Amino acid sequence: MTDDTGQPIRVLGISGSPHRGGNTEQLLDRFLEGAADAGGIPEKIILSTLDYRSCRGCNACHKTGVCVMKDDLIPILTQKVPDADIVALASPIYSMSITAEMKAFIDRAHTIWAQKFKLHQVHYEEEHFTNHPGYFLATAGMERPDIFDYSYPIITAFFNGFGCGYTPDHNITATGMDRWGSIREHPTALTFAYTAGKEAVRQLEKMQTGTRTETK
Amino acid sequence: MAVHVLAFATSPRRHGNSETLLDALLEAMEAEDGVEVEKYALDEIVIEPCRGCNACEELNRCINEDDDLDWVLEKIIDADIVVMASPVYCMGMCAQAKALVDRMQVLRSRKYVLNLPVVPAERQGKRLGAFLATAGQDWDYVFDALVPSVKCFFHVMDIKNRDISYLMVNNVDEMGALAAHPTATADAAALGKQMITDIKARLAGDESGSGEQE
Repeated sequence: MTDDTGQPIRVLGISGSPHRGGNTEQLLDRFLEGAADAGGIPEKIILSTLDYRSCRGCNACHKTGVCVMKDDLIPILTQKVPDADIVALASPIYSMSITAEMKAFIDRAHTIWAQKFKLHQVHYEEEHFTNHPGYFLATAGMERPDIFDYSYPIITAFFNGFGCGYTPDHNITATGMDRWGSIREHPTALTFAYTAGKEAVRQLEKMQTGTRTETK
Repeated sequence: MAVHVLAFATSPRRHGNSETLLDALLEAMEAEDGVEVEKYALDEIVIEPCRGCNACEELNRCINEDDDLDWVLEKIIDADIVVMASPVYCMGMCAQAKALVDRMQVLRSRKYVLNLPVVPAERQGKRLGAFLATAGQDWDYVFDALVPSVKCFFHVMDIKNRDISYLMVNNVDEMGALAAHPTATADAAALGKQMITDIKARLAGDESGSGEQE
């Protein structure tokens, strides 16, 4: 349920890096710190600490709208992501795309896709996208100008499923990050992430003031 | 000497559309003389995601010895033709396929960091790759985002862009849709046959010592 009753804005950050405390997680931390400083309630999920498998492709959810798997992802996909006001996915780029951990998480969101497109149990008004912004934070070792481009369609698919508004200005990326701690030497990335987190909460507050948002 | 074909069915769903497409290709390859085909379903072996530890940059091997990567890598290096088949999930290859691609980091380190050969010099340019995919969506751009990762997979094992073939079929969603597709099975068979002809020519070039490659 989103709210216009002055409840703090919930900001969920999900990291798909296998490293703890690496460049990607530091970038996410700054985003969440910015969000917290603007009055948001941040929560961070580290996929590598969870017990889960990827989608089995069984399509049982096409009939039931429920995933047959019982693991750590279920509460995240059924409660934490839908309940958040702002969702940030963070991943390093491996072999020109997001990590297998993050891809497995996104593939498991197929249940939500099935609820929406197969079973028509879920429908989002345009307002829902505006009130639930989605962000993508990514780091890459290589300097190729197109290095993040092939992740965007995957991230878009995920955010569409949850009714999150994800636009190109919601990408926070840093290249040249192939060494531990490189992000600290990046001239702008950490500051940019902090500011983006702060602005995300502020803008949402501004929008929610005087705007009725629907309950799910 | 037999042509060695190594294939990975990466889909978690056994005998679904992407694996059916793969089987059509492999069947045509195996029908040719002197071809040995080995197929592995990632659902039946264990390939964990890359830990991103970069230890392979110094060790020239993966530090994670708890799964099947080591023997898979040996087979990849020994094969004349490497084939991977994946369904499209959420605009990318399935996570299981992505884990296999990412674990090729060992070869990337070997090739670009340690400057060691991945295959011996005499086998350079004498290997072929094929990537097969199926997608439920009918969008013609549904495969675009996964191709760069496929290239990474083949490049690090010394299979160049011009030696990678692609067969990607969209609008096949339900179980059995691939088999019912008007051209997919025949396309896969034709590609399989052509690749065997091509690899035999490459390998013959090597055996005659003509050295006319590249």
